[in-house]
Amino acid sequence: MVPGDDSVWLAQLRRGSVEHCVLALLRHGERYGFDLARTLADSGGLIANEGTIYPLLARLRRKGLVETTWRESAEGPPRRYYRLTEAGDLALTGFIDHWKVFRAAVDGILEEAAAP
Amino acid sequence: MKTRTNADKLVDRYLIQLDRAILDLPAARRAQVVDEVAGHIAESRSTLDDEDEASIQALLDRVGNPNAIAEEAGASRASIRAADAWVPWLLLFGGFALLIGWFVGIAFLWSSNVWKVPDKLLGTFVLPGGLLALVPLSAWLLAAPPVESIPAFLFAMLMPIITAVHLDRVRQAR
Repeated sequence: MVPGDDSVWLAQLRRGSVEHCVLALLRHGERYGFDLARTLADSGGLIANEGTIYPLLARLRRKGLVETTWRESAEGPPRRYYRLTEAGDLALTGFIDHWKVFRAAVDGILEEAAAP
Repeated sequence: MKTRTNADKLVDRYLIQLDRAILDLPAARRAQVVDEVAGHIAESRSTLDDEDEASIQALLDRVGNPNAIAEEAGASRASIRAADAWVPWLLLFGGFALLIGWFVGIAFLWSSNVWKVPDKLLGTFVLPGGLLALVPLSAWLLAAPPVESIPAFLFAMLMPIITAVHLDRVRQAR
């Protein structure tokens, strides 16, 4: 279990959605790990621990959803940049469709419960 | 040669903990995770205005608990069974329980995911039967001159003890 104040369901929500958020962040161009980690951590807690981005990215790469290139950096050692593959783009599109339906369903039920 | 600051040591310790947490990943994947997290920490440090132990600790907290990273990496958190704690001592002394104790220890050792194969081999062959192996050995040693027999006996006694202590340490590190 992830330590800290995360409840089980929050961790599960993250687990179910963060991979596709990474794919979405890459849709407009390649980015490197540190940048992705900071963006997700600062986005309101899509990842609880910045370091978890690296095994996640490695998994996306093994699935063929992203590919990587090393690029020189002006500030330090070379960086590994991640880029969406065609399969990754397809996976993202599929997720977006399902997510919209899913979100509408959850919202509908929650709003009904919240109504007086 | 640059001296290691306390901040460096905090980072080193963190990376060692991480490496340990993902011990059961294939070596290449393990090295990659540690390398990338090390790079992430280095880059985070370069954004700090003021580097002291507190700011480094806060930075490492953001990077996250090594176990959380290990979980994401799919390292099976060595599911430590209560029985695993008994293994080193069953191997060492179990032979005296009609040999059965030693075989039980071997069964637990090989079915456990706390130890890797080299340690399992070590536990099995150093020494088969554990301290019980000294009994047949001492019969032979009585016939030999003390100059040879005493060091040989001590050696035979120490090896399984050291092995048991080693196995116990590996377990505790998980």
